[in-house]
Amino acid sequence: MRGKFKWPEGVRCACMITVDFDGPSHEIGRKLRPLGINSWGRYSARRGIPRYMDLFEKHGIPSTFFVPGYDAEYYPATVQEIHRRGFEVAAHGYLHEGWELGDEEEELLTRTHRILTELTGVAPVGWRSPSGRKTARTMRVLKKLGYVYDSSDKDYDLPYMARIDGVRLTDMVEIPNNTYSLDDFPWFKFSMTPASEVLVHWKQEFDSLYAEGGFFMLTFHPRSGWGSGNPSRARIVEDLIRYIKQFEGVRFYSVQELARWCLANPGEFE
Amino acid sequence: MPQATACWPDGQVCGVTVTVNFDAESVDLHEVAKENLYGRFSYGRYGMRAGVWRLLDVLRAQGVKGTCFVPALDAENHPQAVEAALKDGHEIAARGYAFEDHSKLGDAEAATLAKAHAALTRIAGRAPVGWRAPHGLLSPATLGHLADLGYRYDSSFQDDDLPYVMRTAGGKDIVELPTHQMLDDSTLYGPRHGHDRVIKTWKEEFDALYGCGLFVNLVLHARGDYGSGRASRARVVDEFLTYVQRRPGVFFMTCAGMAEWWQQRHPQSEAAPV
Repeated sequence: MRGKFKWPEGVRCACMITVDFDGPSHEIGRKLRPLGINSWGRYSARRGIPRYMDLFEKHGIPSTFFVPGYDAEYYPATVQEIHRRGFEVAAHGYLHEGWELGDEEEELLTRTHRILTELTGVAPVGWRSPSGRKTARTMRVLKKLGYVYDSSDKDYDLPYMARIDGVRLTDMVEIPNNTYSLDDFPWFKFSMTPASEVLVHWKQEFDSLYAEGGFFMLTFHPRSGWGSGNPSRARIVEDLIRYIKQFEGVRFYSVQELARWCLANPGEFE
Repeated sequence: MPQATACWPDGQVCGVTVTVNFDAESVDLHEVAKENLYGRFSYGRYGMRAGVWRLLDVLRAQGVKGTCFVPALDAENHPQAVEAALKDGHEIAARGYAFEDHSKLGDAEAATLAKAHAALTRIAGRAPVGWRAPHGLLSPATLGHLADLGYRYDSSFQDDDLPYVMRTAGGKDIVELPTHQMLDDSTLYGPRHGHDRVIKTWKEEFDALYGCGLFVNLVLHARGDYGSGRASRARVVDEFLTYVQRRPGVFFMTCAGMAEWWQQRHPQSEAAPV
C-alpha cells in the first residue's frame, strides 16, 4: 500500500461489519412479487435483522445497516428498532435500483433520505449504492443532502477524501467496499460455496488486510437465498468476529464513526 | 444438545420434513414437444423409471414418511409411482398440472388449479391438502384459490425458519412451510457440485438449524439431472438422514402432519403478501 495512513491511537486495524437490509425492495424493483421463491427478501425483517442485532449486541459490535427506502416503508418498526438499539441507519437506494436512473436519481435519493429521516428522527449521513451502481451525479446529490460519506467504490483498500467533478472534498469521504471478495452474495448466488469455506476465505482476507493497511470492511445481506440471514451463515459471521477479536489493536466501527474520524484527521490517512 | 423450544412438541428440538418433487416430463415438456422427449430431454423420465424408486427405498430404510409433490400430468403418466409412494405411507401433494408458471396464468389460474386438483385426487384416491409452486412462482391470487379448494398448506416461500400461518385475501388461513435454497438438491447439483460438497452443505445447514431449534424442510427431486434419483445421490440422501436421525430431539412429519400440528398450536395468522 502506497497511501499514507495512521489510525487512531492504539488502533492497528479498523473493522466494519456492515449489513445491506435488502428486503422485498430488491424483487419489487425488478417487477417480481415477494411470493414463493421471490419471498427471500421478506426473511430480512422477519429473521435476519433481529438475528444480527442480537449477535452484534452479544459481541459489542457497532454496525451500519444500509436500508432501501421501500423496505423502510414496508418495515418501519424494524428500521426504528435498528436505530433504537444504537446501530447506524444509512441509505441504500429506494427500490434497490440496479439500473441507470437518469433524471430520476435526485428524486429517489431525496425520497429515501426523507423516509429514513422521518422514521428515525435523524438524517442519514451515509449511502451505499444498490448493485454497486453510482454516477457522477450521485455524489453531487448526496453532498447537497448533507451526506458525509459514500461506501460504494471498489477502487482502493483505504478510505480517501471524495472527489466531485475532479475536486477533492474536505467534508465527504469515500469508505470503499469490495463486493467481489468481502460480500456474501457472490458466494451464495454464483458459486454456491458452503458457508464453512466462505469463512476460511474471509479469514484469509482479514489476515492480509490486517498485515497491510488495517482496513477491513465486510458487507452482507440478512435475507434468505443469496444472503446470510439464516443460521448457518450467521454462524460464520459470528466465527469471523470471534477470529478478528483475537488480533491486537482491532477496533470495530460503524461506517459513520470511521468517516467522522477521517474527516477530522484528513492528514492521517491520505 | 440444544434446548427444546416452545414451538415444538414436548421435549422435541427440531422438526424435519422430507419432500420429493416428482417433476418428470411436465418439466421437459416446457422445452420440447412430446415426440422429442428423448436424449437430453429424458432426465424427467429417469426420475419415474429409476430415481423415485431409489428414494422410496431410502425413505423406507430410514423409516421416514415424507411428502411427494406431484405435477398432475406426471401422476397421470406414472400412476404406479404415486401408488408406490402411498403404499409406503407417504403423502401426495400438488404441484400444478403441467408445471405451469402460476405468476403468469391470470384468469386461467383457478381452472388450472382445479384441474390439477381433480386429477391428483382421482389418481391418489384422496384430495391433496398441500401445494408447492412449480418454478417457485405464485400469483397474488394463488394462495386464495388453494384455500378455496381446501388446501391447508403451501410450501413455496423462502422467508422464515419456522412454519407460519397466512390469511388469504378471501379470509381463509393457510399454513406456510418455508424451504431454504441450500437444503434443495437442485441448488448444488444444478451447477454440478459433487456429492461431498452436497453432504457437507446439508450437514452444515442442518447443524445450524438444529442448534437453534428450527424447522428443516429438505427438498429433493427424483430427476436424473439436478435431482437425487441417481444411485450415488440417493446414497447422499441416506447418509444425510442417518446423520439427522442420530441427533436427539429430531422428529419427522409429513408436510400435512406438520401443517396441521403447527396450526393447532400456533393459530394466529398474518396477512399474505401480494
